[in-house]
Amino acid sequence: MPLLEVNDLRTHFFTREGAVRAVDGVSFSLEKGATLSIVGESGCGKSVTALSLMGLIPKPPAEIVGGSIMFNGQELVGLAEHDLEDIRGRQMAMIFQDPMTSLNPTLTIGTQIIETLERHLKLGKAEARKRAVELLEEVRIPNAAARLNDYPHRYSGGMRQRVMIAIALSCRPQLLIADEPTTALDVTVQAQVLDLLDDLRKEHEMAMILITHDMGVVAEAADEVLVMYAGQIVESAGVNELFDKPEHPYTEALLGALPTIDEETSRDSRLVAIPGRPPDLVAPPPTCRFAPRCPYASLGDSCTVEPPELREIRTGHFVRSAHPTSERVRAEETIA
Amino acid sequence: MLRRREPAVAVPGQAVPPVAAMEAGAPIRQTSLWRDAWVRYLRNRGAVACGIVFLMLLLYCILAPVFSPYDPNAVDFKLAHQSISWHHPLGTDKYGRDLFTRTALGGRISIGIGFGATIAILGIGVLYGSISGFVGGKLDNGMMRLLDALYGLPYLPFAIITLAIVGTVTFWTMVVALSIASWFTTARIVRGQIITLKENDYVRAAQSLGARWYRVLGRHVLPNTMGVLVIAVFLELPGVILGEAFLSFIGLGINPPDASWGSMAQDGREAYRLYPMEIIIPSVAIGTLVLCANFIADGLRDALDPRTRET
Repeated sequence: MPLLEVNDLRTHFFTREGAVRAVDGVSFSLEKGATLSIVGESGCGKSVTALSLMGLIPKPPAEIVGGSIMFNGQELVGLAEHDLEDIRGRQMAMIFQDPMTSLNPTLTIGTQIIETLERHLKLGKAEARKRAVELLEEVRIPNAAARLNDYPHRYSGGMRQRVMIAIALSCRPQLLIADEPTTALDVTVQAQVLDLLDDLRKEHEMAMILITHDMGVVAEAADEVLVMYAGQIVESAGVNELFDKPEHPYTEALLGALPTIDEETSRDSRLVAIPGRPPDLVAPPPTCRFAPRCPYASLGDSCTVEPPELREIRTGHFVRSAHPTSERVRAEETIA
Repeated sequence: MLRRREPAVAVPGQAVPPVAAMEAGAPIRQTSLWRDAWVRYLRNRGAVACGIVFLMLLLYCILAPVFSPYDPNAVDFKLAHQSISWHHPLGTDKYGRDLFTRTALGGRISIGIGFGATIAILGIGVLYGSISGFVGGKLDNGMMRLLDALYGLPYLPFAIITLAIVGTVTFWTMVVALSIASWFTTARIVRGQIITLKENDYVRAAQSLGARWYRVLGRHVLPNTMGVLVIAVFLELPGVILGEAFLSFIGLGINPPDASWGSMAQDGREAYRLYPMEIIIPSVAIGTLVLCANFIADGLRDALDPRTRET
């Protein structure tokens, strides 16, 4: 049984303009100890998916209107807030994008770590303190015992993110959700934090959902990748499969929009941007949601009439497009 | 003895292990929010001077009756209306009571009621404002509309009515009367603060770690309003003290023989042409206290919330 099984999750934001379908029928599963990466551009529903898993979506205006989240054999959708609170931090934890604002400026680092230990593990003061020092050492904060009494403003961004990781991992959760954990950090620090996350994940056999828009991070850390567009999964595959043989025109475009340094032409050629904007999620197009921006939509196919379904094009490789790369190439060959 | 130090610079070509490099720095001097605020407060001369005057006034009120040789309530008409002398530094009133001692006693009650009512105002305001702001939604809307309606209540007439209903005027009824219709602004300020603060990432981080709502509110949201609340104490204080003085002046104050500065001014008013000191002393005391509280509030605001300071 997988650790986490999400089925047809739908989270909508009810606004004056209508229901914004931020997450619209997302399904995936995650095995114990595996790393899943969710990628996509801003506003595609990555973070809302993560917050829905944690039960932290702002209600109102947001609401999980359908689907199920099975975690450890327990249904999380519709679970009482009180019970969710017992799961959060204990069995699944989350780290956020901006470490500069994720720590309470009025409490010492130690207090903030100990708080969680006392809350979930019911440790005594002295014991919790000892654990806190170990945790800080584990995330490679030098001079941990002394730094425990410091306030967050005395920590750098990278150190704060490591403290956040220490707090998130303090109760040994089975699932860690990292929502763009490196976006706000320097590139050098990014690598340190990613390495640390990966080491700790292996050490504690913890599953991880890594949300990012950085393809480099994905390539480095993920086992499986979900590509999201306009609230839906458009492609999912193993990390190597996805980078080697992207099938969805959107994934192709995402990878094409990355700068390369090793190609001859890179000096002269411009980066290929994806034209247009993501669709309005209040009234998404009844066609394929990517059709208005898709260079292949004019091939004259069903995708401009009805939305394509997510289908398995190869074993373990799912795509939601009428024109996946491999089929398109074959079609072009027959025409030629 | 001086020892030769190792060169602090990394030798090129030799990689410095990252952990060792981080440990290299000497311990940084500890500074906390409150210490920073204290340093900033000290830079404000007016606030420091007023703080000292305020403390001296407080000390005088606490200590003078203890060390005074006079019974503050002993009536002796032979000594009535004496002017300033070595024996009676501030003279005596119409019953021959030592004004130096009585002013201190009056100050105890005036300042006591002032702080009591201010704390009551903050208590009610924080409770109302934090529930409204933290829960949000329909409850927030309802509570704020109720507050809008209450906002129309003029606080002094309301205090007078309260005192009339209760009947006997004691220290505590005075506190209730002065706070019952003046916590609205505080509630609004606190609500505004809470709404801003609860959007902070660390609040969401606390929730993501399974903190219960009361813990999130009490530990992560309310402490961050401390600065504003400390300022609010000294902003509310002058108004409350003036309110108490006014109520006492119109005869709704503390019952004799107890006195507050307001009731002493009222007593002095009867013969102010002949014995002006008897009204000047309590009035100056009230004025000094209010002025000091305002300056202290100003200094505290600059110290605790440096972003709002104009440069």
